Amino acid sequence: MTMFARLLRNASAWHVPCRIVACDGLPVGYRTCRARQQYSGEYSTMKVNQTKHRLSRLWLGVSLAVALAPATAALAAGYPQVTNARLAAAQNDNGWLMFRRDYAGRSYAPFKQINTANVNTLHEVWSYQSHLKQGYESTPIVNGQYMFITTPKDHLIALNAVTGKVLWKYVKPMKGVGFKTVCCDVVNRGVALYGDNVYMATLDNYVVALNAMTGKVVWQRELKPADVGYAMTLAPMILKGMVIVGESGGEYGARDFIQALDAKTGALLWRRWTTAAPGHLGGNTWPKGMYKHGGGSAWLTGTYDASTNTLFWGVGNPSPWLAKLRPGLNLFTDSLLALDPSTGKIKWYYQYTPHDSWDYDGVNTPVLTSLSYHGKEYKAIVHADRNGWFYAINRVNGKLIYAEPFTRATSVEGFKDGLPYTNNALRPTMTKQIFTCPSFLGGKNWWPISVDPQTHMAYVPTMHTCMTMKGAPTFYHAGLPYLGESFEVVHDPADHSWGALQAINVDTGRQAWNHDSALPWDAGAMSTAGGLVFSGSARGHLYAFDAQTGKILWRSPKLSSGIIAPPSTFMVNGKQYVAILAGWGGGTPIWGGKMVPVVKSIPRGGHLYVFALR
Amino acid sequence: MRLRRALLALSLGFAALGSQRGEAAVPALYTAAQAHTGHATYEQKCAMCHGKHEQGMVGPALKGPIFASKKANYKVEDIYLFMSVNMPAYAPGSLTPKQYVDIMAFLLRQNGFPAGQSALTSKLASSSTVPLLYHGPKAVQASPGVAATCPPAATGSVSNPSSHCKQSP
Repeated sequence: MTMFARLLRNASAWHVPCRIVACDGLPVGYRTCRARQQYSGEYSTMKVNQTKHRLSRLWLGVSLAVALAPATAALAAGYPQVTNARLAAAQNDNGWLMFRRDYAGRSYAPFKQINTANVNTLHEVWSYQSHLKQGYESTPIVNGQYMFITTPKDHLIALNAVTGKVLWKYVKPMKGVGFKTVCCDVVNRGVALYGDNVYMATLDNYVVALNAMTGKVVWQRELKPADVGYAMTLAPMILKGMVIVGESGGEYGARDFIQALDAKTGALLWRRWTTAAPGHLGGNTWPKGMYKHGGGSAWLTGTYDASTNTLFWGVGNPSPWLAKLRPGLNLFTDSLLALDPSTGKIKWYYQYTPHDSWDYDGVNTPVLTSLSYHGKEYKAIVHADRNGWFYAINRVNGKLIYAEPFTRATSVEGFKDGLPYTNNALRPTMTKQIFTCPSFLGGKNWWPISVDPQTHMAYVPTMHTCMTMKGAPTFYHAGLPYLGESFEVVHDPADHSWGALQAINVDTGRQAWNHDSALPWDAGAMSTAGGLVFSGSARGHLYAFDAQTGKILWRSPKLSSGIIAPPSTFMVNGKQYVAILAGWGGGTPIWGGKMVPVVKSIPRGGHLYVFALR
Repeated sequence: MRLRRALLALSLGFAALGSQRGEAAVPALYTAAQAHTGHATYEQKCAMCHGKHEQGMVGPALKGPIFASKKANYKVEDIYLFMSVNMPAYAPGSLTPKQYVDIMAFLLRQNGFPAGQSALTSKLASSSTVPLLYHGPKAVQASPGVAATCPPAATGSVSNPSSHCKQSP
């Protein structure tokens, strides 16, 4: 029997009220009741305020079962359709409908119920634990009372957003898949929603559409075979009836691409290759034939500007890493692409790092915002790049507005005529080892920033590292890495905090406040109209900062693992919730050089926590 | 006749098991002592990403029919060259050539290659065009000449000494 068939068989069991198997007293004034689900090792836990429920264990069980009943009834009433109109207005939706909340990618919610005055009473209302020990990078996506999370190795779980009850679970079959060309942990960054469907992109290069209410597969489409260079880890994007995804593979000599599919049928619509072939725009920026294994992965979800009908998508590093092997600009690696969403045609591009030799992927989310720079108003994109520079780009014409370093940045040395130039003395060769900053893990890796329209600040998870790097022998073989460099990540000599969360004024590009972290800060950020910024630490605390000043206003109890995922927030029945997945992993503990022993003792395992006001 | 054939295979450094199964003989490329030492180094340097039992964790599995498949078309030199230059990912190339060779020996053992009398060297590993295919656990147990090169009983940090050494006569 397949895993899916087993899950279907068990599905009916999940729809009955959870059987309470344990209640544990807690010293902080509330009581934990553990409702174990029907599969081993995973369970949801709901916390009930003890001051309101001074009941016997039996009574607590009864009250919990009753409390679950209205939510179940509400769910049965139906699943709110996700329409183009709702997605276009996702910013104001009560749920959290897409990866970075809205097409602008701001990770900003207009909710004020949880605010600077009361956030210190935030407490856990339920949690859900997963048995997998790899990294958890998924943003909880919420529509009505349905929440969707993904886990390592492409499990997709639907839960009741109010109670934590598991509604269904889908495990992507991975028969014969070796996960050989997945560089940085077997992660997934979440789902997209459209109509009645929920969409996931997988490590074996499938796009899967499932019925959001049942978990039944509606269609699935394989874009590339597994284990030959390609993999997908990103949350898909829904736009105008299309589901849009991008492939990873810049460490394996894949030729990567952005793919649009029909969201209803899975039919392939257009493909935007991200390394330019001869005869096409940028085709003369590669040595003969090297674009075929040139990388240019597109492994993070893009953004969309309705006012110009432009899809923005970031492109990753060139393959192999050692630039000496591929003279030229190597377009469109490390670039921002502005695309016509109906065809995938390039309107313009901006290359963040020319002829990259340091693995500075340009995939970090291009966030749409208005800004005022030197007295002039701009419709801008802001972007904190792996290369350590914070870019503001005119999103109408692709011209640079400004660039400012947000960590020590020596590889990209400066800008001339709006374009970056590199320090050629810091390019490694087979005989020369260099030392440069930031390391290939970046001044910021994929961890999403948040841009707050109230404060005009971008909240940027930051990594302070440098590296040694030297050329090394390499060869292309489908299914093996294709790097051509050896390296070691070390401290920035001038900054001995591995990580930080910093606020950058988008009108100047300059730092407004900074929260240092001895451990790396590998989690995404979210801001709210309540004047708050939420983000999580490697030590396993979810923080709420004053968005204006950076003052810590609340810190969660220590969660079961470190945090590398972004939080989300949503409203159900007039109540605001904040959700976060703990589950240490990702690229840092694999590639992190001197950081590896520092983070080695962080506990592993996934745990979704949902908080609300007391 | 059977004895002669077996002796011929042994003299060529090949295990007999492959031919018993009607397949090409599986070459013996390393000694049991190398695999034993490689196991200990693997546990220290590799297991954190690839799993204590090479089953894969955040990095891929390094044994079995999916890893060492015909489709993957790996040769021993491919894996050795990549590993010795780029692994471990947190400090590529930081181990000694002997450590890389021993880890290669361990991975060969875990993929069903038999141990033999001749030691694997960095030069041999980096030029071996032997296909890296999974041959199953039986090849290890049935490989000739293993007992002669098995190390003394495991000591110190080696928590899981090589199973074929324990099973050898």
